[in-house]
Amino acid sequence: MNRRRWLFHLVIRTLAHRRGRTALLLAVLAMASSLATALGVVSFSMEKRVAEEVRKYGANLVIIPETARLDVGSGGLNFGVISEPVYLEQRRVEDALAQSGLKAEKSFHLRGALRFRKGDIMVEGVDFGEIRRLFSWWQIKGAWPTAGEAVVGSDLAARYGLKAGDTMELAGPEQTVKLRVSGTIATGGEEDGLLFLALPELQRVLGLDGRLSTVRLLVTAEGENLRQKAATLQAHFPGAKVSEVRQIARTSEGLLAKVKLLMALVTAVVLISAGSSVTGTMSTTVLERSKEIGLMKALGGTRWEVLLIFSAEAALLGLLGGVAGYLLGSAIAQFITKTVFAASSEVIPWFVCVSVGVSLFLALLGSLGPMISVFKLDPVRSLRGE
Amino acid sequence: MAANIIETSGLTRSYGDICALKPLDLRVAEGEWLSVMGHSGSGKSTLLNIMGGLDRPSGGSLRVGEEDLLALTEDGLARFRRDYVGIIFQQHHLVPYLSAVENVMLAQYFHSVPDEAEARSALERVGLGHRLKNRPGELSGGEQQRVCIARAIINSPKLLLGDEPTGNLDHKSTLMIMELLRELRAEERFTVIMVTHNQEVATWGDRTIYLDDGVLVREERNEQGES
Amino acid sequence: MALAYKLIPLFLAWAGAVMVLGRGFPGRRPMVAVAGSAGYAGGLAATFLLVRFLPGDLPFGIIKDAVGAGIILMWGVSVAAVYRSTGRDVPLPWGERFAHTRLGAGICALATGILVGAICACRFTGADASVPVFLLLVLAAVVLACAVLAAERFFFSSLTMYPSGMTVALVAFLLLSSSSILRLDLFSPLTMKVMKFAHDFVHQFFESMLIPDHFFFNSFTWDFIGFFFGKQVGFWGALIIWFVPVLLVALAVNLVRLPAVAHIRQGAQRRKMLAAAIRERRSRLVVPALAAVIFAAAVYQSRFPSVEYWDPKPVSVTASPSGEIFIPKKGEIDLEDEKLHKYLFKQGGREARFFVLMAPSGQWTVDLDACAICKPDGYGQAEGAVLCYYCRTLIPLDTVGKPGGCNPVPVPFTAKDDGIHIDGLTLINRWGETVQATTRIKETGK
Repeated sequence: MNRRRWLFHLVIRTLAHRRGRTALLLAVLAMASSLATALGVVSFSMEKRVAEEVRKYGANLVIIPETARLDVGSGGLNFGVISEPVYLEQRRVEDALAQSGLKAEKSFHLRGALRFRKGDIMVEGVDFGEIRRLFSWWQIKGAWPTAGEAVVGSDLAARYGLKAGDTMELAGPEQTVKLRVSGTIATGGEEDGLLFLALPELQRVLGLDGRLSTVRLLVTAEGENLRQKAATLQAHFPGAKVSEVRQIARTSEGLLAKVKLLMALVTAVVLISAGSSVTGTMSTTVLERSKEIGLMKALGGTRWEVLLIFSAEAALLGLLGGVAGYLLGSAIAQFITKTVFAASSEVIPWFVCVSVGVSLFLALLGSLGPMISVFKLDPVRSLRGE
Repeated sequence: MAANIIETSGLTRSYGDICALKPLDLRVAEGEWLSVMGHSGSGKSTLLNIMGGLDRPSGGSLRVGEEDLLALTEDGLARFRRDYVGIIFQQHHLVPYLSAVENVMLAQYFHSVPDEAEARSALERVGLGHRLKNRPGELSGGEQQRVCIARAIINSPKLLLGDEPTGNLDHKSTLMIMELLRELRAEERFTVIMVTHNQEVATWGDRTIYLDDGVLVREERNEQGES
Repeated sequence: MALAYKLIPLFLAWAGAVMVLGRGFPGRRPMVAVAGSAGYAGGLAATFLLVRFLPGDLPFGIIKDAVGAGIILMWGVSVAAVYRSTGRDVPLPWGERFAHTRLGAGICALATGILVGAICACRFTGADASVPVFLLLVLAAVVLACAVLAAERFFFSSLTMYPSGMTVALVAFLLLSSSSILRLDLFSPLTMKVMKFAHDFVHQFFESMLIPDHFFFNSFTWDFIGFFFGKQVGFWGALIIWFVPVLLVALAVNLVRLPAVAHIRQGAQRRKMLAAAIRERRSRLVVPALAAVIFAAAVYQSRFPSVEYWDPKPVSVTASPSGEIFIPKKGEIDLEDEKLHKYLFKQGGREARFFVLMAPSGQWTVDLDACAICKPDGYGQAEGAVLCYYCRTLIPLDTVGKPGGCNPVPVPFTAKDDGIHIDGLTLINRWGETVQATTRIKETGK
């Protein structure tokens, strides 16, 4: 058996001997590093998400009815609800757009809920031709729908076991419609939970002829220029609000910043308390094991060699705690993004390094004081039992 | 007479105002078995610790083997201990969560590299071949002391120090331990210095010195030890 | 001041090499110092003269080849070390013995000195390469060598040298110094070579399968084949070529058998010997580990050189109604300053980036800010050459304007007294042809 293996063996034996204390330390370290990991994962994946949404959002202006509260968030990031259903008049929108003289790609949307198999599902009426132009990242598994067909979001499809070729019967307040599923769509955003059908069809089923809930526009402009165009347009839409898509993203960025701040505070508090509890536990351990330390020194271990054994112990704890913290932290991150942002967070493998780093740092820093006493301990006095 | 393994002159040790060891001149020959007797607090344990490189004298000179212990650094002393000294304690000081073999291997680890086969054979030599995997808690006092002896001799020390090794043992175990030590000494030819306050145990040595209040008061040769 | 900063890696490498040599030939320190310093002075002087009297890149090429030979030597030595460590005997007794003679040590130190000196000389160009500079450099090098050799005795006593480790360490220091100079950089050309090799290899063997929807080669496999077309393959390939010898040396150290101790009867003594052998072996690993760190530093220097490129922002230009772009020689921008000037021309949703440059010879040239091979990352200008940002190839100023390879694609123009006249449509079309072609290849490659 070589020295390294023996050292490992010894450390394992020590940790196994003090099972309770080991478990406690592991829990503390795992908790602290899991919070740090969760913070990192949430901010990392959400920031990326927000940036992605902004980038891939084909439309850069959106028109919504004035009184309808915008569902806060962009694309996949939903944090709110539309309060009272208020609609835009399709004809008026078309006229206003023509009047404004703005060259813009447009896409009309109508949101509603339809009854399907004893439950309500969210549906959106769109013009698929417009969609293909504006939302070029849509990738449909199956075929683009023709008349009497619909596209199902992947989450929805999974929930109801729908696949291309299936027929579904949807009941609205006015009519009931039979649609064939032509394909499924997965964008990673809110589209995954929606059913898309042709706009006129939905208007008929909902009894909302000529009504729209959202208009998305792609104007070739950016920055200050875009703001001006939005202002010009706004003049033509008295009963509606024209906003930049970037603004929406900013809202979610603001929320993200708040969540991050809160998590950072909690993490800081937990890190500090975890550090001090590591110190406390380690000091007790060192005190209890002072005879052992004295013996090791009497057997010929130099102060450094004895220190190495105890540091290895702390490091192993830190490592294990870090790995556990990563798993736990990923779960916490998932929970937070699910509940706060209604989106699923990514699993970022390299965050295991961050987690282990935090945990190791905490374990070693926390046991710094006890380690100094290990280093200084006088073998004669400790063996005598002082 | 063989060369001296230990030579001290004017050796003192004081803790603050308390003088545990008055200037002491002592020579121990290589291969000798020296018993040190005295009351509690007579400085005999201090003497033992100093000669084992565990403690530093306050003054005087001390040579063990080729090493001048006063000149060694802290880590140098540790290296001296691992190469020269084996210690048997009254309280055994075995690591409670390691088995008998592992306790012996711990000494090997600090000395050089652990070698399980060798640790086993050392335990077999002290008659514990059947209790290799037992923890100290599962062993009797005499057995624990034998593990302690195996651990002390595993690195072939030149100097075996015993700090009242039989203090906690009954008469029968004491005899067994002393017999074992004598056998081992015959094979390994180490020097033994044993602190005790048991007159009978002291007579197992070649020579007994009596300490009182840090002063060497008497010295006598033992007939039985010479045999 | 800036120059002194740039000299740091060079002198660091010199000090390191001297330390390695001193440790490697412990009995011959004075000899090593003398031979090394002599080599340094010789290399420095020879390079100064060569650069002055030989045209173009030839002297730099010679030095690069010499350092490259060092890499090959390192490969040979490391492979031999692994082979030997498995217990087999290598029939190279003369090499071993030679390295232990006075002559061997001297030659080793001399060669190292010459190379370090030659590399150091390349930092100085033109009028800088004067006699006072030469004397100053030699003096500094000698003082540094003596100081290092005097100090070396007292430091890192556990650090032991052995032939293979020494070779690796010396080559590492050579590469550290050479990669600090743009024209001597070996890593970037190596990545280029590896990339071209991978390219050719794939073309040779997979030509028939380059049809997008081949039976075996679905898009998944394409991801992997694409790797062989990317810049990455060059980088990783070059990394492997550099670092494998270091790993091999470390492996050789680890493979060396521990001494036979079974005959020692006393356990404690046996274990002590074993522990000492293990400790010795571990201390031998320090050399390859340090070498790896130095290699990494060299790679870093090569990837992110401390040279400041002249890289102007493209200026927008427009064409006259007749479709002609005119750039005045004197005006907002002085075209005759021997630096490249970038322009951006937009027409009908299409655009082209190009630059105008007057070479030191007085020759005018107008080129696209892109070449026919690489992605159009553009060019920057550094001492006596322009550099392709994508593949980091250096193109000497004299050859800018000639087509082919990674040279910027030339554009027809007429130089008149007042300025440069370029046909806008030709420019746009030329950009379209070359750049579209390269981007397409890269895109399918991905």
